[in-house]
Amino acid sequence: MAVTLEVAEVGKDFLIPVIDSVSFGVEAGEFVCLLGPNGCGKTTLLRIVGGLEPPTRGRVLLGGEPVSGSGRHTKKVGVVFQEDRLLPWMTLRENVELVLEPLGLGAEARRQAADRHLRLAGLAGFEAYHPARVSGGMRQRAAIARALAIEPDLLLMDEPFGALDAQNRRIMQQEVRRIWRETGRTILFVTHAIDEAVAIGTTLIMLSARPARIREMVRNDGHLERGKLIDDLNTMIMEEVERQQGVVGPA
Amino acid sequence: MSARHWATRLHLPTLGVAAVIVAGWVLLSWRYGAYVLPSPLAVARGFAEIVASGEIWRHTVASLGRILVGFGGAVVVALLTGLAAFLSRTARGVIHDFLSVLNSTSVFVWIVISIIWFGLSNWAPIFTTFMITLPVVASNIVEGVANVDRRLLEMGDVYRLSGRQKFTAIVVPSTLPYLVVGMKVGFGLALKVSVVAEIFGVTSGIGYVMNYSREILATQMVFVWALVMILVMTATDRLVFDAVSRRLDRWR
Repeated sequence: MAVTLEVAEVGKDFLIPVIDSVSFGVEAGEFVCLLGPNGCGKTTLLRIVGGLEPPTRGRVLLGGEPVSGSGRHTKKVGVVFQEDRLLPWMTLRENVELVLEPLGLGAEARRQAADRHLRLAGLAGFEAYHPARVSGGMRQRAAIARALAIEPDLLLMDEPFGALDAQNRRIMQQEVRRIWRETGRTILFVTHAIDEAVAIGTTLIMLSARPARIREMVRNDGHLERGKLIDDLNTMIMEEVERQQGVVGPA
Repeated sequence: MSARHWATRLHLPTLGVAAVIVAGWVLLSWRYGAYVLPSPLAVARGFAEIVASGEIWRHTVASLGRILVGFGGAVVVALLTGLAAFLSRTARGVIHDFLSVLNSTSVFVWIVISIIWFGLSNWAPIFTTFMITLPVVASNIVEGVANVDRRLLEMGDVYRLSGRQKFTAIVVPSTLPYLVVGMKVGFGLALKVSVVAEIFGVTSGIGYVMNYSREILATQMVFVWALVMILVMTATDRLVFDAVSRRLDRWR
């Protein structure tokens, strides 16, 4: 189910080079956090991996299949955006059921899958609510339920908790970590919060200032001491932020 | 419930101003005579007359029938332009340009042209109504289609919704409020325009009977039919469009 992801020398220019060249591989079932200063091209990289944006250079392979701009590979990719992107005129259940339609499931199967994933995201009892009637955290959880419901081979998350308060953020981090343990999906998670990445990721990738390259790739499997890891990453990100603000030219 | 609350609910301030206007009206009608300004009583009596004789229905139904055909046709064509605007960006540009031309064409142009083309028949007011309301309804729909949240469409792409699924699940619901507003404004315009067009060539309808009343010097009936127009407009606004809008807003 979960698949390997290979990012090979991917670069992207929008008038100016945003991503210089980024290469990394992700094993099936890994939880990768993509870190970096604001505006360094994390989201762009995620969009390229998701097939929402064509790369200027290089290529992305998902389970060995190329992801092109129009993205018609056979793998299933779920995306949780910074905003929930729920359809406001549909209930939470209908929102999840909608994305199951292209998979050819019958109405009953869609309903069951939707309810099961909403329950997994802690939304049991709220299936028939419209997005405007629930809190922002619940909406984001519904978006996660929607992404999980298609049983994605790869789950992409773009700062999904950015709009949440500290408390809800912690709860959601634990939830995502739990869901990942239970479902074993390959996850690529973009964040600029170092403590968040250290708390949930198995592999941490720190991007440099724009144009982005990989500054550091760390395995977060418990061998490294957490406090020191957070300190190191903080030092790195501060250097990159300064570089991005033009204090030092590109290395 | 406070007294002030009830005063607002019953539109008491509005009624107060209306009372002053009616008083002024009575004074003016005494001063200038019934031909120029019939008294409120004469208007009320005239209204009771057409209700009793059933004439009110004959002309209102005739006008509404023409509006239904002309305005209904405009809504259908507007929906098609909306679909075209959704399917093709080029079509959207072309439609936009044509609508701005139509929007800046005077009612009178269409009245004169429709009389030339359709003669003195039902089709003259119907065509005029169609041409005047089409750009109003269509530009609302096209604007709605253009304003569909691209982020939602991208979400649809991520989950590989087909073009039809995106259309029914995303485009239609986000365009509906624009359609309702367009129809509400369009219907009001249709009523005003078709009544003007009815002055020429037809022998039924509110516009016809108003002009006829003027010719036979029954000025009070001109006022009565104006009142009928106002009632029709208010009733459709309250009963149809407000109800539809409320239903659309259920999920907010």
